[in-house]
Amino acid sequence: MIDTAGPKAPAASSRPPVLDRRSLTRFAVIAVLLLLAIFALPPLMSGYYTDTMTQVAIYSIVTLGLGLLVGRVGLYSLGQLAVLMIGAWVGARLLFATSQPYILVLIEAGLVTAIIGSLITLPALRLRGLYLALITLMLAGGVIVVAATLNFPNGGGGFSGYNGALLHIPAIRRPSYAGTDPAFYRFSVIVAIVMFLLVYAHLRTRPGRNWAAIKQSEPAALAAGINTTYYKLWALALSAFVTGVAGALLAGADRELFSIDFPIQNSITLLAVVLMGGAFSLAGAVIAAFLQAFLPALLQNWGVPNDWLIILFGIGVMQVLATAPGGIADQFPKDMKRLYRLISRLWRRPEAGIQAGAGGVSGAAGVSGGDGA
Amino acid sequence: MPSWAEFQPYIVTGLALGGLYALSGVGLVVLYRATGVLNLAFGAVGAMGAFIAYSLIQAGDPGWVAWITCIVFGGVVTLGYGMVFGPALAGRGPLVQSISTLGLALVLFGVIDLAWPTTGGQSPSISFPTDNGGFSVGQLQVNWTQVIALALGVAITVGTAAFLRFSKLGTAMRAMANDREITATLGVPIRRVEAAAWLGCGLLAGIAGIMLADLSALDDTTLTFTVVISSLAAALIGQLRSIPVTFAAAIVIGLVHDLITPITQISNYQDMTPFVLAAIALLVMSRGQVLSRSREEG
Repeated sequence: MIDTAGPKAPAASSRPPVLDRRSLTRFAVIAVLLLLAIFALPPLMSGYYTDTMTQVAIYSIVTLGLGLLVGRVGLYSLGQLAVLMIGAWVGARLLFATSQPYILVLIEAGLVTAIIGSLITLPALRLRGLYLALITLMLAGGVIVVAATLNFPNGGGGFSGYNGALLHIPAIRRPSYAGTDPAFYRFSVIVAIVMFLLVYAHLRTRPGRNWAAIKQSEPAALAAGINTTYYKLWALALSAFVTGVAGALLAGADRELFSIDFPIQNSITLLAVVLMGGAFSLAGAVIAAFLQAFLPALLQNWGVPNDWLIILFGIGVMQVLATAPGGIADQFPKDMKRLYRLISRLWRRPEAGIQAGAGGVSGAAGVSGGDGA
Repeated sequence: MPSWAEFQPYIVTGLALGGLYALSGVGLVVLYRATGVLNLAFGAVGAMGAFIAYSLIQAGDPGWVAWITCIVFGGVVTLGYGMVFGPALAGRGPLVQSISTLGLALVLFGVIDLAWPTTGGQSPSISFPTDNGGFSVGQLQVNWTQVIALALGVAITVGTAAFLRFSKLGTAMRAMANDREITATLGVPIRRVEAAAWLGCGLLAGIAGIMLADLSALDDTTLTFTVVISSLAAALIGQLRSIPVTFAAAIVIGLVHDLITPITQISNYQDMTPFVLAAIALLVMSRGQVLSRSREEG
């Protein structure tokens, strides 16, 4: 669990508590981007891309939850797809069975998923990190089998809420204030923002510090008086909670769910995109969501088989682990800075810069080559 | 509850499946002990080898050429991966190293889907000449492929255990399992020993791939994920260490998986067998464990 090659511990601990100018600027940029995403994007997008961006918003919550586990606590989970499926199932079942407000259903689905998710991973928690990765991979396989047999609720009765009807399947309901696709897109973005704030609040306070300690060295954290099992369980529960909320949101976005929408290879690509996007930062979660949900839609639009993307993710995950553990979120600004330095140097001292620049260019290209993925 | 007679045929298929899981599990354990890497691309490598063999047979090549190609392909790809990424990730702990093999699995999975797209027509399959011959025990029909599967599982398990115990290379692997650095100081060429472990694991992946393509199905998802998950469960129960326990666990997983088939109430859930068994085993084993900074902490 000691991953010394990762970038330095979360910036939270080193930043002064008072808002300085830099973090104010950052806050303003994020706020403007979010406002643009909520208000300016929907009128500009076609129906296809509205759906796609809704998926991106939802998957950013999923990658947020997985990034929390991988980047902050050092728990590699391959079963996040299964957790998402549980959330989607519970959400769909509750939406059919009750007439509760949508928000309430989201929270309930999150809570149920958190309980199931932490119960299932409990056996592996006391063991070493590798075991958790393996048991969650098996969990993914198991849950997919259950989902294929049980099916997703489609308005039937009983526990499973499934009937064999192929026609006149009622759509999973949406909240009255977010009935249309653009409105549901806005709703998803707002829910995603709330989930990011929830996780951010955890990272800035005691749990975040304890997770960082556990990630550095579990025995040391234990020696420092941290209840490691409790905090690891907390991280798993929080991650399962946000993923469960994302699942319930997905139920409303897709309006009908099928088990074939969740192929098992996606449980691996989810981890791959989180590692590629950058597990150590919240921005990485957003990048990962774009990789997971936006790229496939784009490729489909261009008529390129999705398999190329799977190959790309495979290469990407190997490259990230071998050379750039921080992922795109960490590497891209560095490469940009390097490029900026390079250009400014060339600008100032043309003849001296060419020689130094030649080495720099090849170095930067080598590192950023796979990041374009 | 179905009668005993209904269960009987599944004992045979279960044992055959268990033999192949044992073979795979032993391959995983040996590589893990020698290099600290759990090869999660094991199934994908075998799957791609099997698809290549299928294409060769379709092209009119004799069967044995195709089978050997599959096995060699497994060895070459796995060895190549180990040569490139083994040293690059050597200092990063078992967890990161194992996650990295998932990258290889994804690449191979994507390539298989591109090169052999699933069409509505006849699904690809591989059959051995040994499928038709066989013998019967009482009412039970046993074909030679099933016998070979179980025999291979037993032979590989016994052979590997003896190899690790008695041969010089095997001793070096065991030494590296304990401490890589000290082993290197003692003059063991660890890169070469690791390469041998990667090659062995890859060859076993090829064997498992071609056999399962015949006994189970030539399907990329099944071969890539079911095989890895089942043999991983066996290896986990063996604590990624014990070869006899891995063998026994693999046989039990194969048997339980197939014996559930006639019980209609739960037969749909039979693919959950490895997960359930491994979870139970982990729960039992994790009692009384002490947290320590051992090599495997990853």
